[in-house]
Amino acid sequence: MKRILWGGAGLGLFCLLLLAWKLAADAKLLNPLWFPGPDRSFAKLWEWIATGALWQPLGATVWRMFAGWLAACAVGIALGAAIASSSLARKLLQPSAEFLRPLPASAVLPPAILVLGLSDAMIVFVVAFGCVWPILLGAIQGFRSLEPRLVEVSRLMNFSPWKKAWAFQLPSALPDIFAGMRVSIAIALIVTVASEMLSSQPGIGYLMLVAARAFRSADIFAGIIVLGALGFAANYGIQRLEDHLLRWRAG
Amino acid sequence: MAAIFPALVLLLWETLSRAGVLSEDGFSRPSHWAPALVKALGDGTLLTQTLETFGAAFQAVLIASILGIALGAVLGLFRPLERAAQLTVDALRPIPSVALIPLSLLVFGFSREMSAAVAAFACFWPILIVTTASVRGVDPRLLEVGRMLGFSSGKIILKLALPAALPGILVGVRVAAGIAIVVTVTTEIVTNPRGLGHGMTMAAQGLQPDLVWATLIWIGIVGWLVNWGLLRIK
Amino acid sequence: MLEVKNLDVAFGGSEVLRDLSFTVAEHEFVCLVGPSGCGKTTLLRVLAGLTAPTSGQVRFHGQTIAIVFQDYGRALLPWRTVSGNVALALEARGIPGAEHAGRVLPLLQKLNLGDHADKFPLQLSGGMQQRLQIARCLAQEPQVLLMDEPFGSLDAITRQELQDEVARLARDERRTVVFVTHDLEEAIYLGDRVIALAANPGRIAEIVDIELARPRSQLATREDPRFLQYRHRLFKHLAH
Repeated sequence: MKRILWGGAGLGLFCLLLLAWKLAADAKLLNPLWFPGPDRSFAKLWEWIATGALWQPLGATVWRMFAGWLAACAVGIALGAAIASSSLARKLLQPSAEFLRPLPASAVLPPAILVLGLSDAMIVFVVAFGCVWPILLGAIQGFRSLEPRLVEVSRLMNFSPWKKAWAFQLPSALPDIFAGMRVSIAIALIVTVASEMLSSQPGIGYLMLVAARAFRSADIFAGIIVLGALGFAANYGIQRLEDHLLRWRAG
Repeated sequence: MAAIFPALVLLLWETLSRAGVLSEDGFSRPSHWAPALVKALGDGTLLTQTLETFGAAFQAVLIASILGIALGAVLGLFRPLERAAQLTVDALRPIPSVALIPLSLLVFGFSREMSAAVAAFACFWPILIVTTASVRGVDPRLLEVGRMLGFSSGKIILKLALPAALPGILVGVRVAAGIAIVVTVTTEIVTNPRGLGHGMTMAAQGLQPDLVWATLIWIGIVGWLVNWGLLRIK
Repeated sequence: MLEVKNLDVAFGGSEVLRDLSFTVAEHEFVCLVGPSGCGKTTLLRVLAGLTAPTSGQVRFHGQTIAIVFQDYGRALLPWRTVSGNVALALEARGIPGAEHAGRVLPLLQKLNLGDHADKFPLQLSGGMQQRLQIARCLAQEPQVLLMDEPFGSLDAITRQELQDEVARLARDERRTVVFVTHDLEEAIYLGDRVIALAANPGRIAEIVDIELARPRSQLATREDPRFLQYRHRLFKHLAH
């Protein structure tokens, strides 16, 4: 009951802020060229939906984001499991991964364009490159930290290394892997949009950049709303997946 | 030990490039971009660009800190406000910082302020959230003392709550600093006002693959150094 | 079934076990007692093959050894259900998945876990988790079942319940059991034979055959005069 009340209060505050925005825009406190009111922004968004103009660019952005992110998950988990199993591999490779982690993924864009040209494949590659490091490092951490007692149980039951990895290490590593995946999905969205803006590939990012050059501020805000919603949905999706797969945790 | 793998990669890269397997236009090769790196460092271009990037990042962290700590302190002290604000925060936080580039371009044009504004948005959220949590975690006894002494709310925040919450807040600022660099470089790459991202895009457009790769390596080094430095500040 | 000959175990220069020799016959329930630190857990781990002895031999005339750990929480797979945990042992034996349900459920019922088949370990009480570990070990169909102070972290009532359950299962399934405990009365209550270990270094102090009738009962057996005699006889080995 309390939660509904607070939800209501939250909604109330949000609406209040929207109202303040509208009033400021109407009163021309904010330069109308830059800041349309919420009414114009949402109207533009509705127009996009109604005319179907939204779906193609949105589809392109979503596809690139997820293709890159999923590729990064597959590579990150598989590679992470392999690296975790050998202390030599870890000493050789983990420092390089740690070095590459703080590299802004978008910095890879100009070299990638030089090599792969302006294409979808290029964007997906850059997204994957940016996403893989947190997942890889999370997987290495997770695969290494199997409860020692369970390592003994696995030994006593004579399981092969594959069975041990699949039945013991992978489920045990999931919390760390999910932590990496959550960070990565945010990176995926950012890098996708940045790539679209830089390479002028059709997508929400490009749409917004074009709108900026044409001073169409309502379009810009509609785009911001769409991307915010996309970010929220992606995060929510991962959270639900995590809650389901990790439902065995205490509580 | 850690250098073995990168060394092998560089060796392979050089060999494949010379063998013609990797195209020279796209991939360049270590023996080309290494001198380009040295030259760009020597004639000051890389350093100027780095300072530009750092300047924008610093502005961003400053703005985000002032706003984030102020609002975070208020939300941390007044639980009802925090709960009411939750929806708004959850709605605004997922907006990717790059989504604000077109808007920032419109308002600030091609300038350092443009990158700083975008990065400030990205940095604001971690600082806000960490400050709220840290202030909320301050021993209530301490705040009661303030009320007993007749302090105004402002004084309580300034003299008691913030200093007590400082360790936590600094963690948030550290995270934000890392984010600021990344977002600033990203913004520069997309819109290239100045700075390292600008340098790289210019090089790409000028068909100088060596400089592109050299700048990338430099960005990597800088990024790693910043990260390492921030961890050390603990 | 199990032969231990001149077993020596030393870790980093300190002797933990010295010159241990004993045998465990098929279907026997042997209890190892001793003061804490006498090396009983180490001995069990050597028997299981988890720790290597410094010298001496362990000859095991069977294929599978299962060990029930004291810290049951850490020995269970938290991400698998109760049935899933037991099924793990079946997977180890290469039993096809189609047969799992038919084998897991009766075993769970034997240990009073039948109603909890789809729960996760973290939703179970301590006693139930230990029962689950025992169920999984039994599903391995081991020739020898090792138990390392399995009831140490449980309350007195649960402990007594589980003692009787283990005694019953061992009898019904004709299992060979090596049971380690620091609780002398538990050892006498459960064992066909009690091996008392002295500490520093661990060595055999005395071996006593327990001739108390089975099935045993918590009230009657513990008041039996012979029970008390055994207790008197072995008590001195528990002092340091």
